[in-house]
Amino acid sequence: MDKAQKRYAGLNTFGPGAQAVFHICLGLFALLCIIPFVFVIIISFTSEDSIRQIGYSFAPLSWSTQAYGYVFSLGRQLWLSYFNSFLITVVGTVLSVIICILYSYPLYRKDFKYRNFFNFMSFFTMIFGGGLVPTVVVCKQMLGMSDNYAALIVPMLFNPFNIIVMRTFFQTTVPRELIEASTIDGAGEYRTLIQVVLPVVKPAIATIALLNALAFWNEWFLSLLYVTKNMDIIPLQYLLMRMQRNADFLAKNAGMLGADAAKAARNLPSQSLKMALVVFIVVPIACAYPFFQRYVVAGLTVGSVKG
Amino acid sequence: MKKLFALILALAMVLTASSFALAEDLPTITIMFHGSNVTDDTAVLEAVNEYIADKVGAKLEVVWGTWGDFDQKATDALTTGDSSIDMVFTCSWSADEYNKYAKDGYFVKLDDLIAEYGADLTAAIPESLMQAATIEGAEGMGIYAVNGFKDTATQNTWDVNVTLLTELGYTLDDFKAMSFYDFGDLFAKAKEVKGDSFYPFLVEPMVLERMVTGSIIVAGDSGSTNLLSLYLNQDDVSAEGPYGNVMLNKFATEEYKKFVEKMHEYYEAGYVDPALAVAETSNDTRTNAQLTGDYLIGTQSYSFGYEKQIDRGIEVAFVPCTEPYVDTTASQGAMMAISTASEHPVESFKFLALLNSDPTLMTLMNYGVEGVHYTLEDGLVKFDPDARATYSPWTNGMGNVTILPDTVDEGAGFRESFKEYYAGAKAIPALGFVFDTSEVNTEMGNLSNVAAQYALALDAGALDPETALPEFLAELDANGMQAYLDAANAQLAAYLGE
Repeated sequence: MDKAQKRYAGLNTFGPGAQAVFHICLGLFALLCIIPFVFVIIISFTSEDSIRQIGYSFAPLSWSTQAYGYVFSLGRQLWLSYFNSFLITVVGTVLSVIICILYSYPLYRKDFKYRNFFNFMSFFTMIFGGGLVPTVVVCKQMLGMSDNYAALIVPMLFNPFNIIVMRTFFQTTVPRELIEASTIDGAGEYRTLIQVVLPVVKPAIATIALLNALAFWNEWFLSLLYVTKNMDIIPLQYLLMRMQRNADFLAKNAGMLGADAAKAARNLPSQSLKMALVVFIVVPIACAYPFFQRYVVAGLTVGSVKG
Repeated sequence: MKKLFALILALAMVLTASSFALAEDLPTITIMFHGSNVTDDTAVLEAVNEYIADKVGAKLEVVWGTWGDFDQKATDALTTGDSSIDMVFTCSWSADEYNKYAKDGYFVKLDDLIAEYGADLTAAIPESLMQAATIEGAEGMGIYAVNGFKDTATQNTWDVNVTLLTELGYTLDDFKAMSFYDFGDLFAKAKEVKGDSFYPFLVEPMVLERMVTGSIIVAGDSGSTNLLSLYLNQDDVSAEGPYGNVMLNKFATEEYKKFVEKMHEYYEAGYVDPALAVAETSNDTRTNAQLTGDYLIGTQSYSFGYEKQIDRGIEVAFVPCTEPYVDTTASQGAMMAISTASEHPVESFKFLALLNSDPTLMTLMNYGVEGVHYTLEDGLVKFDPDARATYSPWTNGMGNVTILPDTVDEGAGFRESFKEYYAGAKAIPALGFVFDTSEVNTEMGNLSNVAAQYALALDAGALDPETALPEFLAELDANGMQAYLDAANAQLAAYLGE
C-alpha cells in the first residue's frame, strides 16, 4: 500500500485509541439494553423464598422452575391468550398498514383536491381526542365492539402519527416524475400505487409495520375497556396486566379491605411468575425485530446520495 | 345464484327472529362483582338459572370483575350508560363510590322496590345497615343499594407471633399488658435472639398510626393518604371522643407527635424494616414477612374468624386495640346497586333480595355447586381445592354472608358467632357522615400530594419528626389545610345537627 492509499483509507477510519473508546461506549450501551432482559430471565428462574429473603438479585440463593410450571398450568387460558396476541398483532398490523398507505398516498398527491381537508382531519385527532367515555360509547354501543376481536383491533387501526410519517416519506422519496412516467406508460391509479410507488417506500412500510406490530402486541387497555364477559379473547399482555393491577389494587386498598386483602394476596401470582410471563411476552416480539431490521436500516440510508 | 342468496337471507332472518323470541321468554340480568377469581362459572350459572327462573323471572349473567379491573370496568359501564350491566358492586372506597354515584344519578332508588318486593330482604339484614345505606341521592333521601351483611365493623389488632414471643420468654398476657410505648425492651430482645437482620415490628404504618392515636378514617377524606382524624373514645366507641365530634388535622395533634417520635426511636434502633417506609415496597414487604411468619409484632385490621383462615407455620394471636366499631367506611363496605341504565330493574332487585335472604342461592353463588365445588361433611362445607381454584368469588363482596353454611376450616357455629359479633358492635356517633369534598377538591389534591411525601415515612419512623414534622405542617398550611378542615367540620356539624 503506498502512502496516498494509506492516507485515503485513513480518511474513514479512526485511530486505535478512538476506536477503543467507541467500542467501550457502544458495548456499554448494548449491555444496558440486554441486562434488564437477562435480569428478568434470572428472576423468572429464582425461587420465591430467595425473592422473599434478599429481593431481586443476579445471584439468587436458590433456583426454581416453579414459575414456568405455574405458567404452563394456566393451560388453556395461556395458550388462548398467546394465540390471541398473535392473531391480533398479525391482523391488526396488516390492516393498519394497508389503511395507513391508502390514507397517506392521496395526501402526498398534489392533484388530490381535498388533501388539505383530509390532512386536517387526521392531524386534528392528534391534538384533540374525544375523551374516554364518548369513545367507549361509540365503540361499544354504536359499533357493537364489545367482547369480540374487532374491539381489540379496530380502535387502533388508524394512527395519525403513522399517516404523517408515511406521507412525509412519500414526499421525500417518490419523485413526482415517477408517477407522471407511469401515467404516460398507461398505468392506472392502482397499478401506479402498487407496482411503482410501493416498492420504493418499502423501508417506510417496514417501519410503520414494526411500530404497529409493537403497538398491537403491547396493547392491553382495549381489553380492559371492551372485554367484560368473553375472557377467551384476551391477549397475553392483558393477562399479565391483570395480575399486576390486582396486586396494585390490593396494596393500595389494604387498609380498607383489611383481612380480605391479606386473604386475596395469597392467591396472587408470585414475583417470579410475573417475570416468567414477561419472558413469554418479550421473546416473540424480539424475534420479529431482525426481519424488520434490514428495511429499517435501508430506510436510514435511502435518502443519502448514492455513488 | 340470486335465489340461493335470497333463501339464505330468509333463513337467517327466521333464525334471528326465533332466537329473539326465545330470549324474550326470560330477560337476562347481568351482575358485576368485585375481586373475584373465577375462570369457570358454567356449572354454577346453570344451577343458579334453574333455581331463579321462577323466583326472579330472569336469567343471570355474571361479569366477574377482578381486583384490579373492577373500578375501570364498573365506572365505564355506569358513565357510558351501558344497559347490558344491570347490577354493580359499590361501596364507600371504590371508584364507583356509593354516595357520589347515587348523587350523580347512576343508581336506582330502591325504596319503592323494597316496599313491594323486599320483605325477605329487610328481615335478613339488620336495620342499622339499611340506615347506613340511606343517603341523599339524585332522587332524594333513600336507599340506593342493597347493603351486604359482612364484617361491618372495624377493628384493628396487634398481630402477635406467639411462637417467637414465647421463645423470648414472654407470655401473651405480658404482651396484652403493654402499650405501643413499652415495646422497646421486647424488640431489643428479639433483635438479640434473632440477629441483626431481623425486623421485629412489621407494621402497616398508616394503620398503626390510627391504632396508637385512637383515630379513625373519615369517609370521603383523601383516599391515598388520610388527612383528617376523628378521635375515638377508647373506653366506649359510641360516646364522644376526647375532642368531641370535631375533625382535626391528623398531623397536628399532640398524639400524633408523640407517636411519630416513638416510632422514629424504634426505626433508628433497627426494629422496623426500611422497606416499610417506601410506598412502592411497603405492602409487598409486609405481606411477605407476614406470610412467612418473619416478624414479632404486626398490625392487622381484623375480621371475625380471621385467625382460622391463616396458616403461617407459627402460632398467631390477634390482640385488639379497641372494641369493634361501626363507622361509615365499614358499614358501606360492600353493596350492590342497580344501574339506572338497566332495562330490568325489577328483576334485578328481586334477584338481589333473593341473593341476600336465600341461603340456597347465596351458597350456590359463593361456594359453587355441591358435589362439584364442595362436599358436605357433617353439615360443613369442604372445598374441592381444584374446583375451588376455578371458582372463588370474593365472599364478602357478594352480600349477606351470614346465611352461608359453615366451612370445615371455620368450624360449626362460626357464622352464628360471626353474626353475633357484628350485630353487637357499637356505632360511632358520626356514623353515616361522608365528607363531600367537591368544594375543596383542589385543596384535597394539593394536600394529599404533600401528605404522600411525608406521611408514610413519618408513620414508619424513617423521618426525624424534630425537623420533618414542622416542615410538613407548614407545607400543609400553605396548601389550604385550614380551609379543608373547616369545610369538613362545617359539614359534620350540619350532619349531626339534623
